[in-house]
Amino acid sequence: MPQFISRYVTIVDAINYRIGRIAMYGIFVLIGILLWSSISKTFFVPSLWTLEMAQFCMVAYYILGGPYCLQRGSDVRMDLFYSSWTDRQRAWVDAFTIFFLIFYLGVLLYGAVDSTVYALEFNERSYSAWRPYMWPIKILICIGFSLMLLQAISEFIKDIARIKGITL
Amino acid sequence: MSSGMIAVLMFSSMMLMLMTGQRVFGAIGVVAAVASLALWGTGGSDMPFSAAMKLMKWYPLLTLPMFIFMGYILSESKIADDLYKMFHVWMGSLHGGLAIGTIGLMVLVSAMNGLSVAGMAIGATIALPELLRRGYDKRMVTGVVQAGSSLGILVPPSVVLVLYAMIARQPVGQLWLAGVVPGLMMAAMFILYIAIRCYFQPHLGPVLPKEERDVPLREKLRLLRAGLLPILIFATMMVPFVNGWTSLVESSAIGALTAFAAAVLKKRMNRAVFEASVRQTLAISCMFMWIILAAMGFGAVFDGLGAVGAIEDLFTAQLHLGPWTILVIMQLSFLLMGTFLDDTAMLVIVAPLYVPLVGALGFDLVWYGVLYTITTQIAYMTPPFGYNLFLMRAMAPPEIGLRDIYASILPFVAVMILALVVVMVFPQIALWLPNVVYNK
Repeated sequence: MPQFISRYVTIVDAINYRIGRIAMYGIFVLIGILLWSSISKTFFVPSLWTLEMAQFCMVAYYILGGPYCLQRGSDVRMDLFYSSWTDRQRAWVDAFTIFFLIFYLGVLLYGAVDSTVYALEFNERSYSAWRPYMWPIKILICIGFSLMLLQAISEFIKDIARIKGITL
Repeated sequence: MSSGMIAVLMFSSMMLMLMTGQRVFGAIGVVAAVASLALWGTGGSDMPFSAAMKLMKWYPLLTLPMFIFMGYILSESKIADDLYKMFHVWMGSLHGGLAIGTIGLMVLVSAMNGLSVAGMAIGATIALPELLRRGYDKRMVTGVVQAGSSLGILVPPSVVLVLYAMIARQPVGQLWLAGVVPGLMMAAMFILYIAIRCYFQPHLGPVLPKEERDVPLREKLRLLRAGLLPILIFATMMVPFVNGWTSLVESSAIGALTAFAAAVLKKRMNRAVFEASVRQTLAISCMFMWIILAAMGFGAVFDGLGAVGAIEDLFTAQLHLGPWTILVIMQLSFLLMGTFLDDTAMLVIVAPLYVPLVGALGFDLVWYGVLYTITTQIAYMTPPFGYNLFLMRAMAPPEIGLRDIYASILPFVAVMILALVVVMVFPQIALWLPNVVYNK
């Protein structure tokens, strides 16, 4: 397999690994925001920003963590037949069906970019008392979907390598 | 092509995609994406993405990572070990007492987390070896652990009910309260079954030997303290919530912090436990979130089609079936599907099809949430697919074979089906508590 392809896999996997490891600790940020929300509500004036900030965090958590999970193979599959196949057979089937996944991610990204352009053009804000701008979270979603796409392509290359019996 | 035909086509292509073994979220998502593009052209291209925005705005979903985190802290740090000892000492003098105690243990663990994983881990690694050593029948105890841990998704907090609440657009608080009485009823039915079975076949659950039963009363009372932990964790979550000081989501964060603090204070939190629970939380949360993202895209296309109306029309106007007949047929087909599909796939099928239909027939969607959860519990345990079944295979001691695992669940599945029928016939069992609390 050409050098640049295996370099692609190394680089994409390394980037998504690092981002995923950071996103992983997002759970504590989420807990922190929600705790502040309950404290401020009980003892002081309720904060306006906590609810939406927590929602943004949750989105960042699962969208940026997604590629790392894809890499680790923690997404569930229906294994009625899959579990009885050999490693090579699985790689063969995956090498085809991964394009469905890539197509889906492509449509997701298309929609996300569309919506981000709109948010930037019209300075879209959320309908709430805090009124945060929507473009930061939408850009983050675009980045997350792009990373997911890159990781899916990397998985496809790994499938091909498994069929050919090469270790990357 | 009629909307009904498109619906059938979408479903069959989704099933086909799932069968290839591709990741579930991709299999569902691609059908949604292709269908929306084919139906509405470029106008449909934003549909899969809009699901992400809808998902973000749905506030109760924030409880999902919290309860997953709690569950993993409990199972990884093994802070619930003492609980088992408590039941062991107090229940050992009965025939089948340890098995009954294990059900009690599972109820307490269920009140501290929202999935069946924690109960399964505690049951299979702590209770199971102890019970086998005491000469309990291996099929009996394997069934006890599997059935008991499945209570995790019915007794609040419950992750499955959070997901259902989003699909059915029902309040999570009411759904959780609705799960309390049926959950306890089911636990009582399990206990009754064990007690009756061991009364007639005492060799299945022998009494503890005399010397082991002779624990001084002081020691016995000291062990009761272990029971404080689940009560404490449950109380720190529920007291602020029930009093209206905090919202459900905020309470779940308090619960997660309490569980974390308990693990630290009991000196069970180390690097390995921390790493495993944080990483697993991300993995399970991402798995759920991406599947829901895809499923909501699928559901949106389905809504746009108006396919539910067509199906309802088929059943009521053309086949002249009453609402109850339809409900029973639905539940039977659901049980059947549950044995073949895993719970995430079931959620996706239930989402666009069953829930709106149940609503259109005039049934209470909170009540149906309980029926849905019990059916999911059964699906968790029945071969060839089932979360608990897979977990059991991975965690069980070597002397328990696959045949034992399969055979062990039969009586418990029967008890669960009985519970399902009882809740169906008497909706008040589920609806009484939420009605009292919310003064409906």
